[in-house]
Amino acid sequence: MRRALNAFDYALFGLVLVIMTFGVLMIYSAQPAPEDGQMPFVTRQLIWIAIGLTGMLIASAIDYRLLGYFVRFFYVAIVVVLVVVLALGATSFGAQRWFSIMFFTIQPSELSKLVLILTLAHYLGNRPFDWQALLVSFILTAIPAGLIFLQPSLSVALSLFAIWAGMVFVAGLPWRYLVGAGVTAGAAIPFIWTQVLQEYQRRRVLIFLDPLADPLGEGYNLVQSRIAIGSGGLWGQGYMHGSQSQLGYLRVRHTDFIFTVVAEELGFVGAVLLIALFALLLWRLLGIAQRATDRYGRFIVVGVMFMIFFQVVVNIGVNVGLVPPTGVVLPLFSYGGSNLITMSIGLGLVQNVAMRYKRFTFE
Amino acid sequence: MEPVYHDEPIQNVRREAVRLFVLRGVLAVVFFILIVRLWQLQFIEGERYRLQAAGNRLRIETIPAPRGVIYDREGHILVRNEATFDVLIVPGAVPEEAVDHVLTTVASLVDVPLTNEIALAQASATQPSNAPQPLDPECGEPGLKECFQVGATFAPYRPIIVKKDVDKDIAFQLKQEAPFLPGVFVESRARRHYLYGPLFSHLLGFVLPVNETFLAQASASDNYELNDEAGVSGVEASLERELRGKKGVRLVEKDVIGREVRVLDETPPEPGHNLFLTIDMDLQRYATEALRKGLEAVGSPRGAVVAIDPRDGQVLALVSLPSYDNNVFVGGISPSAYEQLLNDPRTPMLNMAVSAYGFPPGSIFKLVTAAAALQEGIITRETRLDAPGIIYLPNKYDPDNKELAQPFYDWLRSGHGRVNVIDALARSSDVFFYKVAGGFPGEIEGLGIEKLAQYAALFGLGQPTRIDLPGESAGLVPTPDWKRRTWGETWTTGDTYNMAIGQGFLTTTPLQMVNVTAAVANGGTLYRPQLVYQIQDADGNVVQGFTPDVIRKIPVDPEHLETVREGMLAVVQRSDGTARYAGLPTSVAIAGKTGTAEYCDPLPDLSDCKRNDEGNLVTHAWFVAFAPYENPEIALIVFVHGNGRDVLEGSKVAAPIAADILRYWFEVRPNRAAGAPFPVAAPAVEAGRAETTDEVVQTLLPPLQPENLSSTRPFKVQLVRTLPNQAELSVLRGTVRDVSGRPVANVRLVLTPEESDSPATYLMTDTNGTFYYDFLTPAISSVWRLSAPDLPGTPDLTLSIESSQQYVVEFTN
Repeated sequence: MRRALNAFDYALFGLVLVIMTFGVLMIYSAQPAPEDGQMPFVTRQLIWIAIGLTGMLIASAIDYRLLGYFVRFFYVAIVVVLVVVLALGATSFGAQRWFSIMFFTIQPSELSKLVLILTLAHYLGNRPFDWQALLVSFILTAIPAGLIFLQPSLSVALSLFAIWAGMVFVAGLPWRYLVGAGVTAGAAIPFIWTQVLQEYQRRRVLIFLDPLADPLGEGYNLVQSRIAIGSGGLWGQGYMHGSQSQLGYLRVRHTDFIFTVVAEELGFVGAVLLIALFALLLWRLLGIAQRATDRYGRFIVVGVMFMIFFQVVVNIGVNVGLVPPTGVVLPLFSYGGSNLITMSIGLGLVQNVAMRYKRFTFE
Repeated sequence: MEPVYHDEPIQNVRREAVRLFVLRGVLAVVFFILIVRLWQLQFIEGERYRLQAAGNRLRIETIPAPRGVIYDREGHILVRNEATFDVLIVPGAVPEEAVDHVLTTVASLVDVPLTNEIALAQASATQPSNAPQPLDPECGEPGLKECFQVGATFAPYRPIIVKKDVDKDIAFQLKQEAPFLPGVFVESRARRHYLYGPLFSHLLGFVLPVNETFLAQASASDNYELNDEAGVSGVEASLERELRGKKGVRLVEKDVIGREVRVLDETPPEPGHNLFLTIDMDLQRYATEALRKGLEAVGSPRGAVVAIDPRDGQVLALVSLPSYDNNVFVGGISPSAYEQLLNDPRTPMLNMAVSAYGFPPGSIFKLVTAAAALQEGIITRETRLDAPGIIYLPNKYDPDNKELAQPFYDWLRSGHGRVNVIDALARSSDVFFYKVAGGFPGEIEGLGIEKLAQYAALFGLGQPTRIDLPGESAGLVPTPDWKRRTWGETWTTGDTYNMAIGQGFLTTTPLQMVNVTAAVANGGTLYRPQLVYQIQDADGNVVQGFTPDVIRKIPVDPEHLETVREGMLAVVQRSDGTARYAGLPTSVAIAGKTGTAEYCDPLPDLSDCKRNDEGNLVTHAWFVAFAPYENPEIALIVFVHGNGRDVLEGSKVAAPIAADILRYWFEVRPNRAAGAPFPVAAPAVEAGRAETTDEVVQTLLPPLQPENLSSTRPFKVQLVRTLPNQAELSVLRGTVRDVSGRPVANVRLVLTPEESDSPATYLMTDTNGTFYYDFLTPAISSVWRLSAPDLPGTPDLTLSIESSQQYVVEFTN
């Protein structure tokens, strides 16, 4: 254990703390007035962070190789939970995505990301990569992703596929498959556009491409976030002084559009700083993956890395208008419990791997 | 020292190491793209967006102009604008804890399904396997709750249209409930209401919201916007420019919810002009009924009646049956319903009098043939010709061979004997006009097709009359040249024969033929038929009066037209006249002409045209008339389309309908015939504008005196509490209570923003003595003054306000 503590990746932990603190400061600036009798958002976020850090430490303490024995159980359990949630959801409108666990609610779909990472890592890490591994890993992903898509939560379902894609890529997916997938996707776009998408979905995409076409309707947040970011300039309008953020023009600013608040109030400098923090974090994860002693551990790190990477890119992409709006939050930064706890536990697993990769060095 | 990878093959490690290295590159590229995009937004486009942030609150809005209304010639209103109310919800303006209450209340008040489940149950109750319609096409969900969720997620500040065209009472109820229904808005719109529906549909037409195609064709200066309404048919279309008015513009400052904070600049709209038609509503109604009965009696699917004033071309009545209800187009019609109307085999959308391609006029065309022959000197008033029941036109190349000669029949096989033109018109001799037009060897030279076609054109046939209705048909006046080009055949004398009696290739519209009759009646002036008597602006000033529009003086000497008129009089009055026994009124001298026009209604296998039991071609029935004989005031045409089974004779089918209408015109309403001065009723209330919501509320809720006001002692007013409010906007609420602490209703309060030139807001206490205003913001003014003019002597209360507060105020006595 001491040896493990010596190996504790303080840089990783420090980066996480810095991002979380930055997030808390921005939530403080952006938070809307709380509803009656509720704690301010920033207080609630601090509680989430405390829970998240605890989860992170626990996740790093239990040897991940031990977890390997329970992977099957976790996987079956989460699929059962997702089915139950879906079945319950059919009878009681609206509440299906939330599951109450003790005193806080958590979305099982978030937890499914972690279970999928462990499952795929365990599977891919214990056999050579071939077409069979590709197929099985795809099915393992598609089952929870399908259930989540039906909830419906498209963004979480997509993030599961992002995790899978990242892991099979590192596992050695042949380049020609990648090219083939890209070509297939490109060819499918016209079909999806005309046959799969509904009229309102097509309109949403068009409005994403030209938000000014409907500035008060579906283009509203896009236009407002662009105005907010654009009005930030180099140094920003000053902490707590973003006119768009503070006047309520920007919706869901403490969750989905917190990056916009950073860009408006702290300007280009602040926004680049935030991007740099995430880049450092992911860079660090890649380093840990590189040095992992076993493939199982390496794939855990890769999975967590993709989980975070997907969310960072999609969220910032939405904020700067490169990605159509989805409900993806900025990990570790945006307000909200489920995602923060999921991310923390995931990073706990990474820490777990990092602490143990020097097992075979000679002291 | 190298670590020992004892549990994995070396090639895996190598490959995975390469992949991880590649990932670093991917990471770098992706983050670089994000930063470049950020740079673009903040520095390259930054200025534009900064300006937009400042201009975010300012909007330019157009104010719709009230469309002109339409009256008949005596000022009876035919179409007006009525206020209609749309109920909207702005999801982003509904506080979360109020959502349930708001949605439940609205759903029950305006009667829309609260949830998809209810919608589904309702839809399948009326018709199993019936899918419920989406509430608002924008959200695609049939239930209000689900629709709201979609809106709240994707477009929080775009209003959801909960229901269009709700009842006045419901609109008012929603207005009353407004303080408890944040985010719910009632908008008033003007909507066309055609008071008589099908009776005037072919004349008035209808308006539809303009679509992209329309916009693409409209010129920019017309200033149409999507969903503006524009006339599509009838007078609504042809006088669109007059009716439409000019939209106003205003510059408003709006808050995030889209509510007006203040109006900075406003150009009021100019209402459209009001039209007074030349149509006599009562005649139109009577003629419609008469025609309907006449069609029913013979099983004819369609017909038309047109009455015009031969002295100036004013159209007194214009009936086309079947008709449709133009009210179904109000507010837009579904494409399938529109298609169904257009494809209806009874063609209710086609104006038989004006727009149908044209029908063979039959014997009523003999008016033209007679006038032309007289003018060209082919015959005189006295010229008598043999008119047997049949003549043989010798073959051109073998004149002596009787076998090859082509027979031409008269409708009366026994013949008419030797007749002059008046006899021929009275008895409608076909043979007489065959000979006059085409000539007959050894007897008469004949007018010839060129001359006949020329006169037909002079009488306005083969060309639109340019009546104020869109889609007018020109009909067809055939010429040898036309026949050569169209059929590749030479014109024959037989063709001339046919044309002489209004058959063959000739087609006309009922409107053209009534115009011919009018020209005969008035001595040779062809007027453009007009539908609009007067155009007035919204204040009642005459913008444009009526001036007769002469198409041409027909070059036929008055004495010849006199002869034709005599023939028409003989039709009605002589014992051998074809309309002698049609029951035409005798109180006034009527001149007329019957027509029984054969037409080809092809059999399903196209082998032949439909024939009656005796093997004769089926026919349309026509009758034209004018009256009184001296100084004609009305020219009338009745057209009864063939029923596909029988020979419908003009004298038996069409003339009695005309008799009915003329009797009404001259006997039931004789004042009209006397040429009474044009009596335009002053349209005081029905001016061309719709009521606004506020006006309706005003009429429903006239200003009241404060209730329960037992004392005239001045009230005290004080700010009793300040509470935090979760919205950015602040709220002012409070109560007015009398000496004994009971609530006082109907007290008007005035709230004035001190530091702004925004207009003051009026509040009124409800039956609980409470008032509520949820739009207080320092963005408008940081100091607001509340005064109570209804409570004399009560001092004003000055409030310094901040954001997100609730100010609770009490008036006590």
